[in-house]
Amino acid sequence: MRAERKKPSNRTQKGKRPGKLTSKQASRQDPKHVAQRAAKKISRPATKGAQEHRTKKAAASAAQKHSAKKARGRTLALPTTIEKKRVRLRVNKEEYELFIYPHRTLAEVLRDELHLTGTKQSCNEGACGTCTVLLEGAPIRSCLLLAADAEGKEITTIEGLAESGKLHPIQAAFVEYYAIQCGFCTPGMILTAKALLDKNPHPTEEEIRSAIAGNVCRCTGYTKIVEAIKAASEAQR
Amino acid sequence: MAEYSLIGKGMQRVDAIAKATGQALFSADLALPRMLFGKVLRSPHTHAKIVHIDTSRASKLPGVKAVVTGRDSSDEKWGVFRYTQDQRFLPVDKVRFIGEEVAAVAAVDEDTALEALDLIRVEYEELPSVFTVEDALKPDAPILHEGYRGNINIHVKIDVGDVEKGFKESYIVREDTFIAPEESYFQAEPYAVVAQFDNGGCLEIWMPNGGPHLKSKPLANVFGIPLNKVRVRKITIGGAFGGRSEISPADVICALLARKSGKPVKIVYTREENTIATRQAHSMKAIIKTGVDREGRVQARDITCYMDGGAYSSTGPIATSVPFLCMEQAYRMENVRYNGYRVFTNKPIRGMYRCHGRAFACGVDLQLDMLGEELHIDPVIMRLRNARQPGDYTPTKSYVGSCGMVETIERSAEAAGWKEKFGKLPPYHGIGVGCNSVQTGFPMGIRGGSEAFVKFNEDGGITVISGVVDNGQGNETMLVQIAAEELGLSSDDVQLVSADTEVTPSDPGSYSMVSTFVGGNAVRLAAQDAKKKLFVIAAKALEAKPEDLIAKDRKIMVKGEPERSLPLTKVVRMGLSRGQSISGEGAYWPRVDSRREWVENPTGQLSEAFSFGTTIVEVKVDPDTGQVTVLETWAAQDVGRALNPKIIESQFEGGLAMGGQGGMLTEYHVFDRGRVLNPTQLDYKLPLACDMPKIHNIIVETIDPNGPYGAKEAAMSIAMSAAQAYAAAVCNAIGVYINDFPITPDKILEALKRKKA
Repeated sequence: MRAERKKPSNRTQKGKRPGKLTSKQASRQDPKHVAQRAAKKISRPATKGAQEHRTKKAAASAAQKHSAKKARGRTLALPTTIEKKRVRLRVNKEEYELFIYPHRTLAEVLRDELHLTGTKQSCNEGACGTCTVLLEGAPIRSCLLLAADAEGKEITTIEGLAESGKLHPIQAAFVEYYAIQCGFCTPGMILTAKALLDKNPHPTEEEIRSAIAGNVCRCTGYTKIVEAIKAASEAQR
Repeated sequence: MAEYSLIGKGMQRVDAIAKATGQALFSADLALPRMLFGKVLRSPHTHAKIVHIDTSRASKLPGVKAVVTGRDSSDEKWGVFRYTQDQRFLPVDKVRFIGEEVAAVAAVDEDTALEALDLIRVEYEELPSVFTVEDALKPDAPILHEGYRGNINIHVKIDVGDVEKGFKESYIVREDTFIAPEESYFQAEPYAVVAQFDNGGCLEIWMPNGGPHLKSKPLANVFGIPLNKVRVRKITIGGAFGGRSEISPADVICALLARKSGKPVKIVYTREENTIATRQAHSMKAIIKTGVDREGRVQARDITCYMDGGAYSSTGPIATSVPFLCMEQAYRMENVRYNGYRVFTNKPIRGMYRCHGRAFACGVDLQLDMLGEELHIDPVIMRLRNARQPGDYTPTKSYVGSCGMVETIERSAEAAGWKEKFGKLPPYHGIGVGCNSVQTGFPMGIRGGSEAFVKFNEDGGITVISGVVDNGQGNETMLVQIAAEELGLSSDDVQLVSADTEVTPSDPGSYSMVSTFVGGNAVRLAAQDAKKKLFVIAAKALEAKPEDLIAKDRKIMVKGEPERSLPLTKVVRMGLSRGQSISGEGAYWPRVDSRREWVENPTGQLSEAFSFGTTIVEVKVDPDTGQVTVLETWAAQDVGRALNPKIIESQFEGGLAMGGQGGMLTEYHVFDRGRVLNPTQLDYKLPLACDMPKIHNIIVETIDPNGPYGAKEAAMSIAMSAAQAYAAAVCNAIGVYINDFPITPDKILEALKRKKA
């Protein structure tokens, strides 16, 4: 199974002419300069909504974008394009073969290509923990990892926790102990808890609080979440 | 007391499994065939004329399907009230803050949309800006909106009793100024919208909302279509806290793009956009003058409050009033004057926030501690002497029926061991108390009431139809619990259809703390209506009187004679086969004074019920670093009746985290000439699991005569008293009062230095 992205409209060959590079143009193509421009972009206080999104991707795609823009401006024509890459992902014990741009994050690919929308995106800068998934059993922020870098590794999302319709004990505890309010942080929280209990089946309260300190919840004040994880741990005894 | 099978007991949240398994869909999770991605171009200027917008290059970019500017929008302006309509969803003449929407693009993917934004050329002519209330009020200040002299957006004036006489008769009078910068909602879910038009010209739209009907009306206005063509759909919502009650420009822009492109469009805000371009809380300066007698009873109070409203009115009149109203409810005050000013500045727009003004609430409470100290009266005694009592009228003439303020003070003080602790703790340990009172709704005009339907199926199960929305607080569970209780069903027998303007009747939304009271009462009445019909059918078969019947355990039985019963399913089928109606309908309109108006006439019954609460906090401060460690907290609230105690506890806990731990210790925005410097999650410090103290919940029940089963407001409140208790506890620990919130380590060290000097 795979899902291909729609036509990459801004990366068509249309309008591009072969041509010679001036030295200035050539230097713009230099990865170092591109990186500098990307860095400049980051340091510019964001005004446009998607700045955050943009800066994250800038480093990965600036070179290509730049050439595409120039192509449209008819000042430069350099047929460089970022090419899609074949990536094999193993998610929730199923194999997926995907054809994706290399700058796409795991969070984006899980959500947009595999439609595993249980993985939520919130801050997109690794601060909120909402997009947590398990990579080889360890909790990682899928907004910070390129999907291509997850190749060959076992990925577990919230959709992979319940087995044959039966809730995982941590999920059941979250339900039973009222640890869920709006539910947006819940998938990441549960996966972080799973990683903790897999490694340390009977953590102290302090260990629990420390383990989920990277998962922000705005609704609950964490009390009932900690209680739920404790209960799930007890149930394992 | 009536014996309930579900009310007052734990009932699993109806949405919990979907949320725990990742199946619950939020707006950003939606994907429709042919769907486009929308992105918004925002103003880089704090105040500027829009001279010209050139979208031609963006439109030509392959993959771009629609570009919209103010010219694609109608002239309709948004404002909650007729007299506050000042915001165009896409401005044509000028922009008033950094981040204001200027144009938008829909394209086949996000990257293309972003690239297209870069191709839009906007020519601005910069105008002078104002960034602080002080500057905005200066006579020569640039004016943001014509007709608003001195940039005063709203002035709420309340004057009750004889304030001057009260001060004269006071034993001591003191005046203090309290300030606090803006804080943010930081809902877990960033704002997202999906919109599409069908062939019949109906708009179908999904977005986080504090009430779908509050969204549908402005959308109908903008698009010039009747309300039955605006379908605001039910969707899981990742938190609101007061911040999603209004229409958002994103809703209109997304719909405009969908109309222009003829395709579904999705806009997902970044975290930064969610902070800047949805709503923030008001920054505030509260000048509070209070006079008390020898026993510490308040004789007079005069409060002047300046609120930075940002660039537009938003919920201005409400937001300017509620901080005062909460305090006039919480404490007795006969002679009181309030002047609340909401002032326009070239900053993002401010709305109603759960805490409703840290500077205000903490100011009133902290000043009671200051006055008590001068009089050698314990803070808890100060509060007991001034506490609101049942049967009182508030200064603005609201009758207070049920009121457990005293009980919340006494029970929390006892649980906390106040007597043993206050004044007796080791150095740099402190304990503090704060009180709150919150409305259970307020006059909401035509949308003040809620209506609900209960439909029986032939298998005895029901579908409940209600406009109540759930932002995460558990409203859906509450509705199911009430319907199941009334009809003797289990929660599994109830399906809920809610918060969808195509099928659910009008409802005030969740942001006035009224969902349980008004929406819950409507569902209860609908269920009772259906029950009455079933009882008439069953009475004949059971040879009993309808009024002697009860519904329990999926049976209809004669009260006290469980052997004389009929399965509910059978009665339903009897009704169906005889063509008798067995569906129920119910409507509830709260008894509030509809003549009451926030600015023009702030007097009369504000809300049908008020909740009251107390929070106590014990802290330890490190005098070397200024770090505060919160040791233990006690949260008590009079909620009328706890329909689902665990859900209420989780509201207390969340409120304490938001109002106290975050609101008083770490959360605030920093601005540089109108630019928010910390809009992201890395820079804005929310409380984490490792920060949170032990929370002891104390639920106080006063069984309100009009609430469903006696329930009233229960969710916003603790955030307010927690803020006060945190402030008081830290001040108590360091032996100095800090009037500048939140109380960050630098302020603590500064205060300690001042104390030594």
